[in-house]
Amino acid sequence: MTRNAMIDEWYPVGLAGRLDTHERQTALMGEPIGVRLGADGNAKVTGSNGRALPVCIRYGHVWSSLGDPQKALFAIPEADQPGRRLVDVGVVRVRCSPLRAVENFLDIAHFPFVHTDILGAEPHTEVPNYKVEIREDEDEVWATQVKFYQPQAAKSAEGGITTEYMYRVPAPTCSILYKTCPPRPGEWDVITLFVQPLAEDLCDVWPWMALFDDETSMADLIHFQQTIFLQDRSILENQIPRLLPLDPGMEIPTRADLTSVAYRRWLKRHGYTYGAQLVAQ
Amino acid sequence: MKLYDYVLSPSCYKARLMAALTGVKLDIRPVDFHPGAEHRGPELMALNPAGSIPILEDGDLVLTESSAMLVYLAAKAAPQWLGNDTALQAARVQQWLSFSHRLTGSLGAARLHEMLLRPGDIATLHGQGIAALRELEAGLVEQHIRGQRFLASDRPTIADVACFPYVALAPDGGVSLDPYPAIRLWSRAIRSLEGFIEMPGIHRLHELKPEPVLEAGEA
Amino acid sequence: MLPYPSGSWMPVALSADLPAGTVMPAQTPVGPIALWRSRSGRAAAFADRCPHRGMRLSRGFVRGEALSCIYHGWSYAQAGNCLRIPAHPGLTPPETIGVATQPVEDSGGIIWISVGEPTARPPRFDGLAPLRSMIVEAGIAALEAAAGTKADGGLLDYAQNAQTLRLLLTPQGKARTLMHVLVDEGTGPAKRIAASRAAETLRRTAEDILRSDVAQ
Repeated sequence: MTRNAMIDEWYPVGLAGRLDTHERQTALMGEPIGVRLGADGNAKVTGSNGRALPVCIRYGHVWSSLGDPQKALFAIPEADQPGRRLVDVGVVRVRCSPLRAVENFLDIAHFPFVHTDILGAEPHTEVPNYKVEIREDEDEVWATQVKFYQPQAAKSAEGGITTEYMYRVPAPTCSILYKTCPPRPGEWDVITLFVQPLAEDLCDVWPWMALFDDETSMADLIHFQQTIFLQDRSILENQIPRLLPLDPGMEIPTRADLTSVAYRRWLKRHGYTYGAQLVAQ
Repeated sequence: MKLYDYVLSPSCYKARLMAALTGVKLDIRPVDFHPGAEHRGPELMALNPAGSIPILEDGDLVLTESSAMLVYLAAKAAPQWLGNDTALQAARVQQWLSFSHRLTGSLGAARLHEMLLRPGDIATLHGQGIAALRELEAGLVEQHIRGQRFLASDRPTIADVACFPYVALAPDGGVSLDPYPAIRLWSRAIRSLEGFIEMPGIHRLHELKPEPVLEAGEA
Repeated sequence: MLPYPSGSWMPVALSADLPAGTVMPAQTPVGPIALWRSRSGRAAAFADRCPHRGMRLSRGFVRGEALSCIYHGWSYAQAGNCLRIPAHPGLTPPETIGVATQPVEDSGGIIWISVGEPTARPPRFDGLAPLRSMIVEAGIAALEAAAGTKADGGLLDYAQNAQTLRLLLTPQGKARTLMHVLVDEGTGPAKRIAASRAAETLRRTAEDILRSDVAQ
């Protein structure tokens, strides 16, 4: 097998706040790894033959790589903005390709059917045109001006509103969603999906959030995001094939799927194909 | 009535579902079960030394077993859900209430293992879960032959609410429901009940509503 | 030879297990299908995969005469053509979007699927009524050994407690069998319950035989 370009990327491997001297056994792209708190108080990640792997701590998580990361982990400037609450949502395992998990996160057309009465509701199913680009300078996929009807934008909200979203893919298995923030017009709530590829068809998903919300309890915020993700999980485990098909003949995108089209094109361009299926089988 | 609740727990969902079906309003207190392990913290351990959720609190009464919560909610708000009209029916209700704990120990444990990375011997849990589903399927086939759609009667009872959540969420733990036609029909009958609520992993029955049409001027 | 050569009928489910307005998964030699029945009662069989994003259509929902995917609500008519894409309400889906269908016959209380164009009508079992379907984690040989009889034309006789069950068997791979239990028409509830229990015993025996064979 040729060296996959994804080897040199950073991946989440644990919650920084729950590091323990007792080593947690997990895996990265098929290789067993261990994550623990070292005697010096720093996180240690060890590969299968005992080799020390690169480590960084950011956005509530421990990040590591099997290869040699050429760049620092992507920036989320909003994460350092004062006044935001940082929410560790915790890990959820899904039997699907890590790339399918990200692609689903980029999709809004499923809201009325999968997140019924929370993020969407019939008959408000139309996805208006939005903008998608691959930003060459940052080498990231961006979707902006994404608008969708949301039946209940917040616990206190009566009736539906049109919510605006921006999506960003800075790494093959990570995505950041910016969402209009009712209590702070002009600011965006940040909701991320960090995916740890365990195997090509198995992943651990670590959602994380940086929100302007001083009222909702932390448990409530966690429950909300876990609800949304668990609704998605039952979809992700039932898609055929389990790998993300990069062969254009395998699936049928529409205008509503332009973010996914750009994401797949970007993956292909970089050879980010761990978890992808290149030819129809 | 206050429910210490975790949104992804099928046992907590039993209490929420029973309350919804019988029209009881619960005061929900969310517990950070995962990743925070708040159920093992001092506040909740003082309430329930077993360190489990749900916990239902009503005045002096503290319940920590979901079957007891179903009995309490039904007896207070809608006694017909107790299903104790005849000796036969009452016995069937108790049979399935006890059986429901085997679902928790097999399908529930498999789900925690596959989804939230809790320890467990997954092959054994799957085997026990499939054995339990086969018993449930056989029981429902017999009920159908007797002309009854639910576990203890032709009406739903607390027995159905006790068994439904872990069964409906079996696929979360890697156990397929495809081989069980009687379970599929029973699950559908429960999901069609007036007042039924979902939990994550159980989708809305969209077919119960006609194809919605936008009113003129709406967007 | 495949047990179900092209053009022959395969019993995939019992009619009673697929009420109007519902969908269920089933297995065929050419892959999984979504078997569904429209509100007006017509059964249809689709390849179990929405061409949009690969979601299993057997997880979907039936409204009126169409089957919809649970993921994005794309809906399909009985002929397999896409009727509606909710993300684009004004769009008439191009004719090229559709799912593969298979011929279905719903007769004698059994739903039959044909792989390829059928050459005849599905078999009839006069005087018999279907009771239930079960999956057996063993092949037909183990079921024959458990019943002490040989299957004939896909039907296995199993005598137990003064009644004879007729078992309609469909192999699903080497070590798995779909078994439809048939009893004499007009059999009363007590004997039907006994027949269902007898079928459980037969399954257990066949699976034990398979396990001990594997162990040897």
